[in-house]
Amino acid sequence: MDGLLGRYRNLSVLVIVIMAQLVLLAVQVKNNQDVRLIRVWAVTAITPLARVLEGIRANTFGLAGEYWDLLEVRSRNQSMKSDLDRLKLENQYLKAELATAKRIEAMAGFVQRSPNKTIGARIIGTGAGMNSKVVFIDRGSTAGVLKGMAVITPDGIVGKVTASYPTGSQVMLITDPTFACGVLSDKSRIHGTARGQGNNQILIDYIQNEQTVLVGEIFYTSGDDRIFPKGLPVGPVRVARQGKLFKEIYVSPAAFDRGLEEVLVVLEGVHLPIPDLASQSSSSAEAKLMPPPEADAAAAPVDASPRPASGQGFATDADRLLQRYRSLGEQQGVSYGNGGRLPNFNAPAVPRTSAPKASAVAPSPNITPPSTPRAPNP
Amino acid sequence: MFHLPRRSMREDFPDRLRFLRDESKFAQGKIAFLQYLSFAVLIFLAGGYWNLQIRNEELYSLKAERNRIKSLPIPAPRGKILDRDKRVIVDNHSSFSVLLSRESLKEEHLKPIADGLGLDYDELLAQLKRHRSRPKYQAMIIKEELTPAEIAFVESHRDPDTYPELELIHTERRVYPQNGFGAHLIGYVGEVSDSELNLADFAKYEQGDLVGKTGIERQYNDILTGIDGQRQVLVDNKGNERRILGLKPAVPGQSIELTIDLDIQAVMELAMDGRRGGAVALDPRNGEVLAMVSRPAFDLARLSSRDRNRQWRDIFTNPDKPLLNRAIQAQLAPGSTFKPIVALAALEGGEVTNDTNFNCGGGLNFFGRYFHCHNKRGHGATTLKKALAQSCDVYFYNVGNRIGIDQIARYAEVSGFGSRTGIDLPAEAEGTLPSSKWKVRTLREKWYGGDTVSVAIGQGYLTATPIQLAHAIGGLSIGGIWHTPHLLRNGNAPLKPARKTDLNLENVRLVIDGMCEVVNGWGTAANSRIPGVEMCGKTGTAQTASNEYQKARNLRLKDNAWFVAFAPRINPEIAVAVLFEEGEHGNLAGTIARDVVKAFFDKKSRRELSQSKSGDLTASLDSAPSPRSLN
Repeated sequence: MDGLLGRYRNLSVLVIVIMAQLVLLAVQVKNNQDVRLIRVWAVTAITPLARVLEGIRANTFGLAGEYWDLLEVRSRNQSMKSDLDRLKLENQYLKAELATAKRIEAMAGFVQRSPNKTIGARIIGTGAGMNSKVVFIDRGSTAGVLKGMAVITPDGIVGKVTASYPTGSQVMLITDPTFACGVLSDKSRIHGTARGQGNNQILIDYIQNEQTVLVGEIFYTSGDDRIFPKGLPVGPVRVARQGKLFKEIYVSPAAFDRGLEEVLVVLEGVHLPIPDLASQSSSSAEAKLMPPPEADAAAAPVDASPRPASGQGFATDADRLLQRYRSLGEQQGVSYGNGGRLPNFNAPAVPRTSAPKASAVAPSPNITPPSTPRAPNP
Repeated sequence: MFHLPRRSMREDFPDRLRFLRDESKFAQGKIAFLQYLSFAVLIFLAGGYWNLQIRNEELYSLKAERNRIKSLPIPAPRGKILDRDKRVIVDNHSSFSVLLSRESLKEEHLKPIADGLGLDYDELLAQLKRHRSRPKYQAMIIKEELTPAEIAFVESHRDPDTYPELELIHTERRVYPQNGFGAHLIGYVGEVSDSELNLADFAKYEQGDLVGKTGIERQYNDILTGIDGQRQVLVDNKGNERRILGLKPAVPGQSIELTIDLDIQAVMELAMDGRRGGAVALDPRNGEVLAMVSRPAFDLARLSSRDRNRQWRDIFTNPDKPLLNRAIQAQLAPGSTFKPIVALAALEGGEVTNDTNFNCGGGLNFFGRYFHCHNKRGHGATTLKKALAQSCDVYFYNVGNRIGIDQIARYAEVSGFGSRTGIDLPAEAEGTLPSSKWKVRTLREKWYGGDTVSVAIGQGYLTATPIQLAHAIGGLSIGGIWHTPHLLRNGNAPLKPARKTDLNLENVRLVIDGMCEVVNGWGTAANSRIPGVEMCGKTGTAQTASNEYQKARNLRLKDNAWFVAFAPRINPEIAVAVLFEEGEHGNLAGTIARDVVKAFFDKKSRRELSQSKSGDLTASLDSAPSPRSLN
């Protein structure tokens, strides 16, 4: 068979084609359709190709269009970004201006209220020392700023002028390790010395362990240092605990809470009273109190037995005994050395509350006459 | 080959060559100038190098070292002063002092520093002047016992930019009893003075050192003074401390225990309050001083300071002389308290016996001069016992006249008059014990009989201090053994040998009998009697100036009141002498002695009761059962 078809291939193909033509004609007649088959076939054959081509065309054009759109969007985005940055800067500038205006307003209000003669200055630089905390201000000796003057803000003290040049001054901040000033607590009115630590804390030194200082209590300048006028806020107590020799009290400087840009140099200071507790409840210093540090054992009040700071109140066993014998004489109505009634030194003595506090020595025998019934006097 | 015509360049380019020539000259000049300049700089540097490294090498290396290392003194605390029961009389307490570093001192800083610390500027300058002899690196303490305000001032100004010469150090300060309690006995401390530095006792001290000035502080200064320590710290170029390099701790001074009994001292202080005078109580058996008071007193805390302020000067210029320790320095006529000695001298010499009788008619003429008795109406027939009890002057005029001044002087000298008792306190006065030789030697005059009559009643040239009287009467009361009064209780260390005199004990008893009548019989100090305690004593009312002197100046000076006593009569345990200046009568001094003796025996009963109950010598009396007061 294969050989026959192969031998008469052309004829075979013609016959197959004519037969196929006849079959197709038959199908067309049977189906009674207007569209010619050839057309159907052509369309059927062309349509997928056309669809692919059209898809390619459409996608190509769409992509290109979108690409152009994207480019346009990017450029617009960049433009908008730059606008945004500019607006942000403007906003920041305006905010800063507003803050400055507010600070200056507060400062102006403070200057008006405060009896201290002050001059405003702007901080223009900081010191380069590793541990030193110094800044430079734009007011110098030509403006009346002199070495040793106090530098403050309405929120609290900032430091003191350590060098004065014609157009600027160097200010040692209260956080500098060599800085110190006299302070006074608002509640217990305890005097101490504030000392910079090189960080954002200030140590209040020379306060006896027996004295009570609470967290949240505010320290003000005491005026003892002859630099700062009395009554300027230093800061609230963050930590208060028992120390080795003195209490360990740390204060956060109130002046640094809102940053430092403008300061006031006190040209002539006037001592002010420390604000009382009632007025502090609404004061800004009280409002700025930070929460106390967690789990601080010193938050509880320490022993409050007062102890004199100078030697004037110290006494020895001699003073205590003298007081006892004096009390004994008073109880018995005896005036020593004047004759008359004989004193009975073995009578019990009623302790006087005003007796001077003895020094820290071990109690010795024979100090107190025994608690015995009084022997009869002649 | 061809040749260019030989024309010089000068001819071709005359202007250019001129320029080149000038340029080279200019460069040469510049180079030469730079060479000279460099050479000059080199010479300058070499000179500086020579000065720094060769000429003054030691000086600058020392300076550099000092700039790097700072030495701070650690003053040693002085030893405490305790009483015989180890109770604290003088203590120490922690305080802060401010040092002034003279090395980095700037003169213009002194005024503001003085203002800030409330110091007298002139005094500060004087203090600096006093310290000139010390090395400059030794800082000086300019104020002690700083208040919180002063600490704040120092702390806020001692930064490198303000007053870096200020330094705060921790010191131990003396805590003295207040209101002048025991002020003369204890003494005070102060900076060693120029005159003291010339004394052998203070040879080891330097200007600015604190030393005891008076009293026990002076007497036992070497024991009480510790050895100062030192702290060496590394400082940076600004003077900030960076590291501690070395620490030599201070060695505290030793505490000392005194023979003083604070109970007796306190009562004596209260009894002498508001008066002027001195009083001493001692144990005649061993010479231990139990109490010693002088009035007016001064506040020790005010004097024991480097700060010689106005208060300091006020004490020194006070006309009442509060710094005078009247107990050992008041040399006054003892009045009738001297009569027991005269009586003893007369008895020992045999010129007078117990039965010797003199009639007192209120006065008597001796050597053309009438001598009054204090009892204008007279005592009538008077024996020795009565004469002592009622202090009959006429009796003792007669006795003195009979035995003469030299016999009185001999027994008075034996009793300790006319010489220091040897108490361990500085500047004890020795009084005056007149004798015929003394008058010739001192006044270049012959002794007259009338002088003896005055001395016989404790007047005239005779002067004595309260400690001499207590010492004399105490020794007499135990039969003629005089122990040296002392304040340091030195445990079992041997005491100074006592001075003994072979007295006839019967004569001593007669004198003591008379003294007991003074208090317990019909004597002049009956108001000083203590029920249960047989206290013997003798009053004395001494004129401070003769009648003639007062008349001539139209003065009416009050007499000084004296009282000497011992108790009990047998085996005496306490002897007391009281001087009450301008007290007018001896019995007013007697009441002071009475309260002191009462305090002594009340305490003794407490102690005995405590020992019998607990067997513990140092048991607290707070828990002791009730003793009876010796009333």
